[in-house]
Amino acid sequence: MSIDCSVSELLTCFLARDLNDGEELQVGVALPIPEAAVRLAHLMHGPNMELIFLGARMNVHHLERVPLPAFGWDNRVVRWTESFSDRGHRFDQVKDWHRRVFFIGGIQVDPFGNTNLIGVGEDYSRLKFRGPGSVGTPTLTTHVGRYYIVLNSHSPRIFVPKCDFISTVGWGQGGADARTRLGLPGGGPKYCVTPLCIMDFSEDEKRMRLRSVHPGVSVADVQRQTGFPLLIPDEVPTTPLPTSRELDVLRSRVDWVGALR
Amino acid sequence: MSSGVRTERLCDEIDAAATLADGMTIAIGEPAPMAMVRHIIRRNLRNLTVIASGLTLDLLVAAGCVKKAISYYAGGGFGVPVAPAFRRAVERGEVTVWECEEGILTSGLEAAGKGLPFLPWRGGVGTSLPELNTDLKIIEDPIRGETLLAVPAIKPDVTLLHAATADVYGNVQHHGGPGWLDLFLARAAERTIVQVEKIISNEQVRANAWATTIGRADAVLRMPWGAHPYYSRGYYLQDSALLKDYVSAAERDDGAGLPAFLGHYCREPATHADYLERIGIKRLLSLHEY
Repeated sequence: MSIDCSVSELLTCFLARDLNDGEELQVGVALPIPEAAVRLAHLMHGPNMELIFLGARMNVHHLERVPLPAFGWDNRVVRWTESFSDRGHRFDQVKDWHRRVFFIGGIQVDPFGNTNLIGVGEDYSRLKFRGPGSVGTPTLTTHVGRYYIVLNSHSPRIFVPKCDFISTVGWGQGGADARTRLGLPGGGPKYCVTPLCIMDFSEDEKRMRLRSVHPGVSVADVQRQTGFPLLIPDEVPTTPLPTSRELDVLRSRVDWVGALR
Repeated sequence: MSSGVRTERLCDEIDAAATLADGMTIAIGEPAPMAMVRHIIRRNLRNLTVIASGLTLDLLVAAGCVKKAISYYAGGGFGVPVAPAFRRAVERGEVTVWECEEGILTSGLEAAGKGLPFLPWRGGVGTSLPELNTDLKIIEDPIRGETLLAVPAIKPDVTLLHAATADVYGNVQHHGGPGWLDLFLARAAERTIVQVEKIISNEQVRANAWATTIGRADAVLRMPWGAHPYYSRGYYLQDSALLKDYVSAAERDDGAGLPAFLGHYCREPATHADYLERIGIKRLLSLHEY
């Protein structure tokens, strides 16, 4: 890699670039890369972005440094909050969530971007692994304009042909009209990003497709670590590196403690 | 017959805890009413259905109080991906989960508050939730013919909350706003018991009536530091070290960690004051207001 950065920093900068000024960016818990990405985008090119952490909505473009990551859980978040979307009426304005962008993790992901936070095992009454639960992801992903699947690891245990249980619908059974048929108004998952690569979904089938591999990772590496056949274009580029300015802003104004290094 | 005097709702913690019984559906807000949660454990209540998340849920599961968890989320907030006692108990089939998510949960609570049998909700359509939780019915809406979920009314017997202040008549005012679910829980429940950091005068409530978040709590308990080890907005920050101790105790291989933790922090102190003595004034004062 010509610019020395970690894969978490690479993903942070990739996601940040994909976020547009004026958007509402909602991040839940335990997602350090999106937490950093929305802050970086806000500082770099998003003076009109609205950041929403656990229902606290804020614009902190004016801050020299935007702290990471306690901001979400810490009740001192009130210092920056302009309104709370969640004080007894959290879901009363989902009609406007097409403006909103969201991020999810998952313990299983299938070829159509359906994901599972419920648990792993064939028998629901005796799960091999009980997951954290769906949180608010079914409702969020039903309505938001688009969302990103962000994973901390990439293995055949996570990328499975079929999720044991589905907590969020990506592209359902596939097809460009998959979500329309289910009556889900939101735009669905745009990218799935991992420590190995960036994936998107094909236009017609909405099947997971390799979009770029990170420096030092081969297409064969990605396919080996994915439990189903990916769509692989003839040319697979390398994921674009952060610019030195992005890395500088990220390291000095967002992640100065080095959580992503 | 009226006594001619307005009834005060200030209540003793032991008396309030005595109104909770085996088999009840108990909803627990956040910031967490930890003093009452410890009373549930101390009283060794059994077969509860709880609406709770995070450490609150995990403590009650670890103590064997829970039969069914109405749970949208059992992770985060205290340093583990999945609450450890909850995870073990569910994997062994000792606790069943009423599988849901935030929008479904709030719809069920709103249905209860509005006196309806159900409310429709879209989030969860296409997922496994209606398969795993057969109380959720897939319906065709009679207006536009869309596929939706019918979420049955969820009516807690009791909701337990922690807030900043209240007067003796049950007018509760939060500092920095209530937790995201608190008002849904209060509106849905048969009874609402609210712990507060401070009792304020009725005149002070009237001076800023717009700040009253719950107008008619059934019981008010004066419980300074009552959310510890969680935060209470404007009063103290979260005691993250104690939350870490809990996770270490839960993860001990010999299984002795949780009984010891529950004994020391929940079962042995008979009252909230005894608990605070055990925590110690130095530790409490080290938790800044902001």
